[in-house]
Amino acid sequence: MTAKAENKTGEFLLLPCTSMSTESNLTGSWRFMKPRYEEKTAPCSAACPAGEDIGRIEMLVTQGLFKEAWDTILRENPFPAVCGRVCYHPCENNCNRGEFDEAIAIHSLERFLADTASKNEFKPSIDLRPARDERIAIIGAGPGGLATAYFLALLGYPCDVFESTSATGGVLRWGIPLYRLPLAVLEGEIARIEALGVTIHTGRHITSDFLKTAHERYNAVFVGCGHSKSRKLGIDGEDLDGLEEGIRFLEKIRRGDLPAVEGTVAVIGGGNTAVDVARSAVRLGGKSVLVYRRRREDMPAFEHEVEMALEEGVELRQLLAPVEVKQTENGYTLVVRSMKVVGEDEDGRAAIEPVGETTEELTVQKVFKAIGEEPAENWYNPPLKRQNVMRLNHSVLVHEPRRPAVVFGGDLTSRIKSVVHAVASGKEAAIALDVLFREGADAIRARLKSCAVGGGAALSMEAYMDGLRKNRSHHTVRYEEINTDYFQTTSRVTQPRLLIGERIGSFKEIDLKISANLAIKEAERCFNCGLCNQCDNCYLFCPDLAVCRDESSQGRHINYDYCKGCGLCVVECPRNAMILEEEGQ
Amino acid sequence: MKRVVEGSQAVAEAVRLARVEVISAYPITPQTHIVEFLSEYCANGTLDARFLRVESEHSALAALIGTVSTGVRAFTATSGQGLALMHELLHWAAGARLPIVMAEVNRALAPGWNIWVDQTDSLAQRDTGWMQMYCENSQEVIDTVLMAYRLGEQVNLPVMVVLDAFFLSHTYEPVDVPAQELADRFLPPFDPKFLLDTQNPCAFGPLVPPNAYMEMRHSIAVGMDQALARFPAVEDEFEDIFGRRYGAVDAVHCDDAEIILVTSGTITSTTREVIKALRARGEHVGLLKVKLFRPFPLEEIRRTLQTAQKVAVIDRNFSFGASGIFAQEIRAALCNTVDTPPVFGYIAGLGGRDVTREIIEEIYTNTKHNEVPEKESIWVGLQEV
Repeated sequence: MTAKAENKTGEFLLLPCTSMSTESNLTGSWRFMKPRYEEKTAPCSAACPAGEDIGRIEMLVTQGLFKEAWDTILRENPFPAVCGRVCYHPCENNCNRGEFDEAIAIHSLERFLADTASKNEFKPSIDLRPARDERIAIIGAGPGGLATAYFLALLGYPCDVFESTSATGGVLRWGIPLYRLPLAVLEGEIARIEALGVTIHTGRHITSDFLKTAHERYNAVFVGCGHSKSRKLGIDGEDLDGLEEGIRFLEKIRRGDLPAVEGTVAVIGGGNTAVDVARSAVRLGGKSVLVYRRRREDMPAFEHEVEMALEEGVELRQLLAPVEVKQTENGYTLVVRSMKVVGEDEDGRAAIEPVGETTEELTVQKVFKAIGEEPAENWYNPPLKRQNVMRLNHSVLVHEPRRPAVVFGGDLTSRIKSVVHAVASGKEAAIALDVLFREGADAIRARLKSCAVGGGAALSMEAYMDGLRKNRSHHTVRYEEINTDYFQTTSRVTQPRLLIGERIGSFKEIDLKISANLAIKEAERCFNCGLCNQCDNCYLFCPDLAVCRDESSQGRHINYDYCKGCGLCVVECPRNAMILEEEGQ
Repeated sequence: MKRVVEGSQAVAEAVRLARVEVISAYPITPQTHIVEFLSEYCANGTLDARFLRVESEHSALAALIGTVSTGVRAFTATSGQGLALMHELLHWAAGARLPIVMAEVNRALAPGWNIWVDQTDSLAQRDTGWMQMYCENSQEVIDTVLMAYRLGEQVNLPVMVVLDAFFLSHTYEPVDVPAQELADRFLPPFDPKFLLDTQNPCAFGPLVPPNAYMEMRHSIAVGMDQALARFPAVEDEFEDIFGRRYGAVDAVHCDDAEIILVTSGTITSTTREVIKALRARGEHVGLLKVKLFRPFPLEEIRRTLQTAQKVAVIDRNFSFGASGIFAQEIRAALCNTVDTPPVFGYIAGLGGRDVTREIIEEIYTNTKHNEVPEKESIWVGLQEV
């Protein structure tokens, strides 16, 4: 317990100092709480229908590992360049950083990674499962069909995609204007899917007869034909020449036919199609008035799209329901009636009714209807609940004995019509079919659950394919679980955009890429909720030196012979990648 | 080379000359100038040392305890409340036998909030195992800091170099600032007797049970005794190089004195003038300045005072419920001798109040006209309230 130090004149100094090892004192026996490493689920990734591993992606960006970050997206989503542009990014609404200062600009970072990959001609480095014998036919080369083909290809299945139109992409090609999604971007993404061995047959319209003979060549069919038929308004004058379907108008523009628009046009509807029609009309020289029967906050269109439409001069008239369209000498008159909100309907949307009998007349040159679309053919609709029909979160699986399985997905089954939901649907369909072929229908639900991100509706293909991500706990990290002492408030990167004048004069892409410098700075704001970024705080703070570095993927382990269970490591972990639980649990 | 410097700068110059490698301090008036000078020296390269910015005096000393354990020379400075906050670690530094040197600028303790001179802050720490050396002027400050390192490193005990707030810390005086080569000759590099060495791991400060603790305390006591015994030799070495020495105590005209005034700090300088005037009037008066308070030079003090008829101690401090602290120590030094002269305890100058020539003369006159003190502590210049 003591040491003597002798000085040069032979005098002794008695010191409280010991060279005896304290290893014999197994302080771990004092422990009643036990820390351990446990990576958890970040709320952004649970909110992303595609279940992208966002916390990990941003961590890789901070290290300048752009290729690895891009690969990480590709494990869960074949469309980073598309989603980095047109996704409505529900991830950002659930970002814990939003409670601290502002949410991480996940959308801009995804776009940055996709563009960086394209500029540097990155080739994906993703594990593929060995080839399988089962063949799958996919009807529709829209985002849902292509995503299904992509994930099935990762799982080793040969796929044939049949597209009725002359080119691939579905709504991404025909429905989304170029100012949101340039064609080259879309084609780059599709080329990567084809490179996996997916065969796409364009100009092949598939009829319901196909299902009868499909068993001859295919073990399963994915129906992803989307919603391509405009819904009817059911008002007088609907068949007049001056009343055009919004979705056809957008398609015409994408085919390169740029119709001149003069004067004021009315666009009836509140969804993304309506907003895109209104914005496209502005670009073609017109003045657009959006006529919506509910309020702005009830619009199914993505909020930031509405915001940009208004910036570009689109006028929004709320609580106006169309009653009749009449042709006049100089154009058309749209007769509308004022509506009021009277509570909620069964879907939770505002229920409305007319204020009275009085109507208003809007004088316009043209009327577009865009109140939503529906399947073009009846057989696209998934069957109702019955035996051998499995209604999953993002798709409907029909598995009858001795017949090819049929999965209905994409917009046919998604409540929210978005690209990322189509990706979710394709992933779910691919996993469900793989489980069906390997283990049978009864195993499907349990297997889907085991790779659910945070236990929710989003699925992780990486987890399904036994990647490291499958070790994450389903616990979704809450803001209070982040140790914010380790973070300073910093402002969110501003998405650079074309000026309003530049925007309305052409169909040039509005959003611009952020620089690598800004991307790294933005990614550094990320809490990486629930993920270990090797900060080493646990190692530094452990008073018992019980945190030991090793060669495992975690990089360290706890020596429970000496860990007293004080919990310092867990408290000082900035990102909640550790857990403290009662001993013996 | 003679330079006109502030007392605080005298400290800083001595730290520079001692080639201190780590400085850790927290600012507090009236000590702040010392660390300001040192931080500038560190910033402009005058001194090749690491300046640790810490969040409190407690941390300042804690950091140095770690630092000096690795075998480097280190320095800190504080005052009043700051020293009080260091209290726990003062014990630790001494118990761990770390020869840290601290400049302690005497400051009155609050409340009432007061930044001026009063010795109660340092004297309240007298039992922590630190040496304490009280200085009279800036030259003594610079010389004492160098000697503190020399002595402290020989016996492995920390040293407080104590100076009066403002009267010394903020006063400019001509000072001989030694050349570096001379300072180096007097003060060789720190040669630690033990150090924290990762090649030879050991733990400092483990549990020490009753069967070993007492011996360690005794070892500190022995260290203090050694320091007292070695102090003259350190002064000899110093005098050889610089031609100056101070003594553990400084006895002025004590040989034939009937009354000896006992002082410390800057009051001593004023008292020297008073003594000169009184002796010119034929008074048999002497002065004993106490420089070294810990270890306490008991024999020398006893020997000097024993021949006097009366002793008058001037204390710029007070131990509540007892008396002036120097007076206590002087009484204790005399109590085991025959023919002990009576000890008059005077309390003066608390909280920075001036102790003038007139006050010191009044103390002398009062001592002369009373056979024995009318009470244990006589508060001089106390106003009616």
